[in-house]
Amino acid sequence: MSINHNLTKFLILSLLFGFLGSSPAAGYVPTPEEAILLSKIEKDSAQYFIRMSDKVTGLTRDSSQTGSPASIAATGFALAAVAIGQSRGWIPKDYAYDQLKKTLTTLVSTAEHKNGFYYHFLDARSGRRVWSSEASSIDTALLVAGALLAAQYYPGTEIEAMAHRIYERVDWKWMMNNSSLICMGWKPESGFLPYYWDSYNELIILQALAIGSPTYPVPPEAWEAWIRTEEEYNGKWIIYSHSGSLFTYQYSQAFIDFRELDDQGINYFENSKNATVANWEFSSSFQTQYRGYMNSSWGLSASVGPGGYKAYGAKPGQAIHDGTIAPYAALSSIVFTPEESIRAARYFYEELHDNLYGHFGFKGAFNLDKNWWAQEYLGIDQGITVLMLENFLNDGIVWQKFMKLKPIQRWVELCKLKAVSVID
Amino acid sequence: MKERRKHFFINKPLQIRYMAYTTFTLLTISIIALVSLYIGIWGSVLDSFSDERIRNDLLIASRLTEYEQARLPSEADPLSTLSFFKQAEKLSQRQREIFKDILDETNRKLIAKLFLLFFFIAWGSIYLSHKIAGPLYRFHITLEEIEKGNLKTRIHLRRFDEAQFLADRFNRTIESLDFTFSRLKNIVAENSSDLDRLVPRLREVLGQIQTSVDKS
Repeated sequence: MSINHNLTKFLILSLLFGFLGSSPAAGYVPTPEEAILLSKIEKDSAQYFIRMSDKVTGLTRDSSQTGSPASIAATGFALAAVAIGQSRGWIPKDYAYDQLKKTLTTLVSTAEHKNGFYYHFLDARSGRRVWSSEASSIDTALLVAGALLAAQYYPGTEIEAMAHRIYERVDWKWMMNNSSLICMGWKPESGFLPYYWDSYNELIILQALAIGSPTYPVPPEAWEAWIRTEEEYNGKWIIYSHSGSLFTYQYSQAFIDFRELDDQGINYFENSKNATVANWEFSSSFQTQYRGYMNSSWGLSASVGPGGYKAYGAKPGQAIHDGTIAPYAALSSIVFTPEESIRAARYFYEELHDNLYGHFGFKGAFNLDKNWWAQEYLGIDQGITVLMLENFLNDGIVWQKFMKLKPIQRWVELCKLKAVSVID
Repeated sequence: MKERRKHFFINKPLQIRYMAYTTFTLLTISIIALVSLYIGIWGSVLDSFSDERIRNDLLIASRLTEYEQARLPSEADPLSTLSFFKQAEKLSQRQREIFKDILDETNRKLIAKLFLLFFFIAWGSIYLSHKIAGPLYRFHITLEEIEKGNLKTRIHLRRFDEAQFLADRFNRTIESLDFTFSRLKNIVAENSSDLDRLVPRLREVLGQIQTSVDKS
């Protein structure tokens, strides 16, 4: 009886795993149980974008905290997550289509923007700018990336047409403010912010969309203008972001497949892989000081924490940390460090489930030393989780679809990002 | 020489009625506008500034400041006084946005209500003016008929038309003229073959009528 039961379970898991497929995206094949767990996390995380998006405008709230405004980055992730959810059969086709159409219609017609750049925070019900927020370049890029990815799931439809209209309306060159770099934002009250995307971080997705734009492209020289600061950590040379936060190594690579792209000898996929390992090693080196840092519990990245939202991170970089772990960070590194990420996912899910897991997947963060548990979910955290898990579980499908976009191919060509295999 | 009015109430019932119409209309407009403003503004203010909303806004202000500090490393230390000022500034900006939204929304609702009021006022004006314009038109038509020599014509006003008393008086005047001319016609018809009787009888009747050719 027991043998039959186990055999049945094995066959079911095998069938399911067969559907999910192997994972050439990361060169690691998860066990059927692991695949089921990851699939559940992805599905639950995608639910955030159904529940936290406005029923009329489709704009997605920044967090599950009461009173939270809509964030355009979260809305971008929502467009991607809903399209993915539909493709996986978690969201009914009609519902997903209506949700995407509603959101894109709002973005095309009513959401406040300046030269195509949306304000960072919008009123979820009206699409009007709130909290005196800036027209944000990186958040608009994440929104556009999500919209273009959704468009790839609906070729030849109004979803595709509206997504490209939103993209083509963005005047990327204007955001350079006559400089060689792209400015972080603009405010009606004070003009351009005094900050520019000048060094390695999540800016790559912004650069790619800006250089590849069919309407208002920035010159390819902008790709050369930002600094790639390199530092060694535990024998690995890493081009690092100032904060050392894991999300900076993930956002662009949720959309762009860097595995075979070479930027003058730099492979950003390998770089993110090294940075993720460094992040794991960094927190491991503090295991005696912080209870939350374990081999199976890691992930230093920007997140909520006992003292508010901080750009937590590891070396190389600023490396602010206080024992707070962001589950999304470890999980979204799955394409770089599959075994370590799955180990963390299992620990978070199996050992900390009651405090850490809810209707929308993992909550923001936790800190065992202070017995602090986030009570909220953040849209961007759930979004990056969905995209990275989808890449991992579904044979890099997000990468495949995104890399087929002409603007992305144009950026690859203009910036001479040669395929690694060609160089080899 | 100034022509001063000695009596403002010439036709008291009519004037009081019209005063009531005007006052009622203006009062209705004022009440609707005031109630809309009061409920629109204060209702929204009380809702937007409830303890819960203020607490949430404080948390969001704090969170958004932290976002900026996380994104811009050169920004102030999260625990510095400047950070608190930034949170306060954000909250203040948010409150201004809320007030602006409340006023905009109230104005939008008020404009919608005013359009409705304008419609009713326009309809009321036409109704009221018709009560005067209608009789004036009928007087005009009747006088034209009289000018053509038709003394059989009379003025017939609607039940709630103004100037009923004037129409009655007018009709009595026409009746009197009609009677006089009918009498003259009868005298002429009865005495057309006897001029000696006709002339004195005409003189008798015409002598009762005062005209411009009569010497005073």
